[in-house]
Amino acid sequence: MELEDLLNKYFGYTAFKTGQKEVISALLNGENTLAMLPTGTGKSLCYQLPGYIFKGHILIISPLLSLMQDQVDQMKRFGEKRVVALNSFLTHIEKEQVLNVLNQYKFIFISPEMLQVPYIIKKLQSLSISLFVIDEAHCISQWGYDFRPDYSKLGEIRKSLCNPLTLALTATATVNVRQDIIQSLGLSKVTKVESTIDRPNIGFYVEEIADYRDKERRVLELVDRLPKPGIVYFSSKKAAEQMAELLSYQQNYRSSVYHGGLEQDSRILIQQQFIHNQLDVICATSAFGMGVNKENIRFVIHFHMPMQIESYLQEIGRAGRDGNPSIAILLYSPGDELLPIQLAEAELPSDQQLDWLFNRTDFAIRTNNRGFKLTNTLKELGGFSDVQWRIVEDLLNRPIQDTSSLQQIKEMLQDFTKKRLKAKKNNIFRMKQWIDTKFCRRQFILEYFNDRLITEVNPCCDRCGLDIRNYHSAEDRPQVELLEVTWMDYLRKLLTNSELSK
Amino acid sequence: MVQLESIILYCLMQLNNERTIYSIYHLLKGKKSSQTIQDAHLFNLKKYFGIYDFLSRENFDQIIQMLQDQKLIQSCGLQQFRSTSEGELFLIKNPIPIDLNGWEFHQVTARFWARLSLLIQVASNLEYKETNYIPIQKDKDIHLWLKTVLKEMNVSKKDMGGKLYDELIACFAENSELDPSVLVYRLTGFNQIGLTSLQAAQKLKMDIFDYHLHFINILHFMIRKLGQEPELFPLLAHLHRALMQQNDLTQSSQKTWQLLTLGHSLETIAQIRQLKLSTIEDHLVEITLNFKDFSINEYVEPILQKEILHVSKLIASKQLKLIKDQVKQASYFQIRLVLAKYGG
Ligand SMILES: [Zn+2]
Repeated sequence: MELEDLLNKYFGYTAFKTGQKEVISALLNGENTLAMLPTGTGKSLCYQLPGYIFKGHILIISPLLSLMQDQVDQMKRFGEKRVVALNSFLTHIEKEQVLNVLNQYKFIFISPEMLQVPYIIKKLQSLSISLFVIDEAHCISQWGYDFRPDYSKLGEIRKSLCNPLTLALTATATVNVRQDIIQSLGLSKVTKVESTIDRPNIGFYVEEIADYRDKERRVLELVDRLPKPGIVYFSSKKAAEQMAELLSYQQNYRSSVYHGGLEQDSRILIQQQFIHNQLDVICATSAFGMGVNKENIRFVIHFHMPMQIESYLQEIGRAGRDGNPSIAILLYSPGDELLPIQLAEAELPSDQQLDWLFNRTDFAIRTNNRGFKLTNTLKELGGFSDVQWRIVEDLLNRPIQDTSSLQQIKEMLQDFTKKRLKAKKNNIFRMKQWIDTKFCRRQFILEYFNDRLITEVNPCCDRCGLDIRNYHSAEDRPQVELLEVTWMDYLRKLLTNSELSK
Repeated sequence: MVQLESIILYCLMQLNNERTIYSIYHLLKGKKSSQTIQDAHLFNLKKYFGIYDFLSRENFDQIIQMLQDQKLIQSCGLQQFRSTSEGELFLIKNPIPIDLNGWEFHQVTARFWARLSLLIQVASNLEYKETNYIPIQKDKDIHLWLKTVLKEMNVSKKDMGGKLYDELIACFAENSELDPSVLVYRLTGFNQIGLTSLQAAQKLKMDIFDYHLHFINILHFMIRKLGQEPELFPLLAHLHRALMQQNDLTQSSQKTWQLLTLGHSLETIAQIRQLKLSTIEDHLVEITLNFKDFSINEYVEPILQKEILHVSKLIASKQLKLIKDQVKQASYFQIRLVLAKYGG
């Protein structure tokens, strides 16, 4: 059967999107593959389709629990029942149950921390694994923007599973990061599929604004003029909340805030409201967007500058999935780069914190020549955030040479944080360079990823003469109909389908 | 915050200066300490037990300050207040919704709402013959419950939506004081996503605290009604089935639970029941397992809880002995409680 026939049979599509076919063909040839595909091009199809050809199991490692759950739900809704997610959402009993019948599942999603459990590795070793998939593979690289310590052990794990055929997926990775991925996984021969990351229907527009208040005013103005729906991204929950309130109360837009601090129930509802066109504007932190497959997002505005070009690209990539013209706007005020620098510093343990930790007598006891007593008490007393503590734990749980002294270990940690901070600051610097550039913004981003512009894009960016007015909505804002639906009508419409003749 | 203020005023009057203001906070939060449980009984405040589980200490202090500023209460000692005559008048003008029943229902309210909202979403999509949608409830227990119930409901798929609609209307009609919009706009169905609590409060022009109270009130009304007269609501009555979990306990544990809710200590319960303390401790572990909301803070310091959990994870073991070796200050009973509470 041709690949297209399989595509039609299992997914109901008639044609592959960019890159998908190349990836699948490489895998079917038994080649380890590193695929860099732009967001929104259906990465999951790249392992799902081979899954229907390979005899064994497909193991998918995914770093984000919510994303994993979305993917599993989506596969189930499309009729694939042999899929399971192994992560910390499962209760102890559920985990036992799943592990007992693990061989009945074709597609096994697993979080990296689950792979640290020897018992689970043993279980996996008893299966025949046809394909080892690493989603968001850029998390492997220490120099990538989203390094996850758990991910750095995937090479070892892959080895312990007898080096199965491997697919590393990412949307955004520079050449260095790609090299890191290959090395860290211990892949000897790799086929690289790198489709262009350019999204020609998205225009770039950067605007310098005097200060915070003016930015607020400008967002209100832009939301007024641009066709909707759209997303406004913020680095702070509070700023996002304020803007959502301004938009709903002052301007009467259907707007909501979305950030990680909301309860899960509310997060699901707001995301679904947006997808079902019940909201015009979402004011969000970077927590929003993963797993949101919405085609008609017309604008993405950044109120604050992101911490790196990679996440910027991912966030604006949510616009215009339907191929229609869309605009990515970044508002910059002088000094804005200080906020990401502060955030970057807060993500790493400080020298003072490490000094304090290594001076604690209840910490320095090394049992069995390795391993440290890392209690929650220490975490709290030392004022470590979750992110900071995860880094400490991970670095200290690595095998350490017996001969190294406490001082040497501490220096190793400090050296690591110094390098991480440098990498992060460098990312912020590149982002700032992009804001400041006098030349084409699209070109800049493509060069950053060693990509090339294939066909000329017009309109392209403010530097190439893009006129924001061309993106303004043609019609005036439709009068908000204040037709209130009574609760009884609402309920009746939910539960009785008047178009059905019964 | 009119409704919440009324409740605090009412509690103050009942407490009659015998407790600090924070005993009301603990009551509203549903703290499972013997003191709070005893207060709820002694002062006849069981209705309000645990109805504001999300209230923060900060919110509470603000509200007390507001009550003071409005001269509805006045200070009468350290952390003690009494209601003024204006306060009493305020309470008469702003009566408290009458269907609240925190003591009986606070542990099952969230579950009842989860069941109801999923049932309506599924029924609505069945009505419109849509199979591809995202369930707004992620809890697997609720999905499992619905699966069983759908099989047992004696109704065809094409009649289900209409019948549910009729039953809901009939149920709301039983109480003319209720405003069903508090609940209905929260419901999700085919191509219509329900509002979050904050959005619903905004739509109905209430503050979130008052909104929450009305929302809980209508749910408590439904739980009671469906429990009392299931025959009137053949479909909705399923929401009530096995909602109360008490029956999952063994009989002996149930007796211990009853004594516990009366505020007795473990030692006293052992004396009363003439059982060994270790047996009572077994019961407590069982209770912890069965009641998701049961707080073990009184028996294990939160810091110690964290430590036990951490060690259990670190050594990837639930063996008491192994954990005990690493956390010497914890007793076996405490370790068991923590493992029971957090599923190890
Ligand atoms: Zn350009």
